[in-house]
Amino acid sequence: MARKEITQDTATEASSKKMRTRDLIYAGAFGAIYLVVMLIIVMGSSMVSPILYLLAPLFVGTVCGTIYEMCVLKVRKFGPALILGVLFALVACTSAGPLSLVLAIGFALAAELIIMAGKYQSKMMYLLSFVVFNCNMACPYLMLQLARDEFLARSVEFYGQAYADTLAAIAPSWVFFLCLGVAILGGIIGAFIANKLISKHFEKAGII
Amino acid sequence: MDFDLYGDDSRGVIKLDPRTKLLLFLASSIVSLNLYGITSMVVFSLLLCVLLALCGRPGTALKAFIAFAIVAYLRSCLDAQGTGSAGVVMICQALATIFMFMFPVLISLVMLVQTTRISQFLAAFQAMHLPATIVIPVAVLFRFIPAVQDEWQGIRKAMAFRGIRIDAQSVVRQPFKTIEYMLVPLLFSSISVMEELAAAAEARGLDAEHTRSSYEDVRLGVADYVVIVLFGGIAVYTALNVRRAVMGQ
Repeated sequence: MARKEITQDTATEASSKKMRTRDLIYAGAFGAIYLVVMLIIVMGSSMVSPILYLLAPLFVGTVCGTIYEMCVLKVRKFGPALILGVLFALVACTSAGPLSLVLAIGFALAAELIIMAGKYQSKMMYLLSFVVFNCNMACPYLMLQLARDEFLARSVEFYGQAYADTLAAIAPSWVFFLCLGVAILGGIIGAFIANKLISKHFEKAGII
Repeated sequence: MDFDLYGDDSRGVIKLDPRTKLLLFLASSIVSLNLYGITSMVVFSLLLCVLLALCGRPGTALKAFIAFAIVAYLRSCLDAQGTGSAGVVMICQALATIFMFMFPVLISLVMLVQTTRISQFLAAFQAMHLPATIVIPVAVLFRFIPAVQDEWQGIRKAMAFRGIRIDAQSVVRQPFKTIEYMLVPLLFSSISVMEELAAAAEARGLDAEHTRSSYEDVRLGVADYVVIVLFGGIAVYTALNVRRAVMGQ
């Protein structure tokens, strides 16, 4: 009995810093919303045209910024951005190879550190962290970058030189950096929209 | 692709452990990354679909495999034809190839979500000695994806009653307004569901420090070992084979 009370005491003591079950549930649930919206946007835009597929980080950043900000502002502890990033990486980057997985989680960790630097109070830091977080949208495109040479060598074998040349023309060798730039732009727009929507709706309702 | 709110494997011929399904998901990611031959892709997808059918989703498995077969057929037609504008042919080929790449990953994900109950997830993760920081968000994620879809349907209907359209046209014409109309109700209703979920979880003692006991019996059976050896072997073989081919060049 005594042991139980001690663990409970330490639990309440640590609750101000460490994530509790309630916070973990928030992170998982916001992760679900984030992923569903992200998948709908990516699939929708890639169905319309392959060029829009390359622009998907912009659209995802614009729409998902608010979801991300709601998640980190609701919890206000170390962890939610990292959990969101890991869930994102597991769903979006697993098929793109281990490097893109690590890179995506790295961006989420960087976002988490930015929030930490703002001492979980600074609104500016919260908004800035999304710009970094949204860079993980570029990671799935790393597959196009890295497997490209291998892929081109194979397509010369299978389809001949002409096919490989057309492929090389459509996807430039710096496709990853293009997507990274697009993702940063999306992050900035997303953070701007999130700021507006949160102060217009959610702060008034007292949710965060 | 629609997910039921609760996965169910009671109609299945074989019952796989959630850990086996996770391994299957990993194996299909590796295989789809390393596989290039069209015949081996078809064989691997057929294997996955048969497994999905055995786990109690024959309808989904059949529909998915027919879709895959049609795309593979169109792809081989494109290869055989050899006429038409090079750019258009290439875009069609790329789309077909992306679909075929993604197919094994999608099918194993459908199997993971549609045939596993949340309590099975929790019990299996606990048996793997994973910390709560990982277990709870992942379990909630799978529980919440259908809930988000449900909320979204409700929001679409409520918007329609007020004469507000959310479609491609409104997205192009007034993107920011559409985002606001989409996100604000979605987040408000999801947050209230989250709070109920958190209250329910706390009431069931999910945040207790003690090891939880579970009604679910998670144990690796004969079928699990067969699947693990078969698909693990395929994944290792393709990964090694591709590496050797690249080295040989």
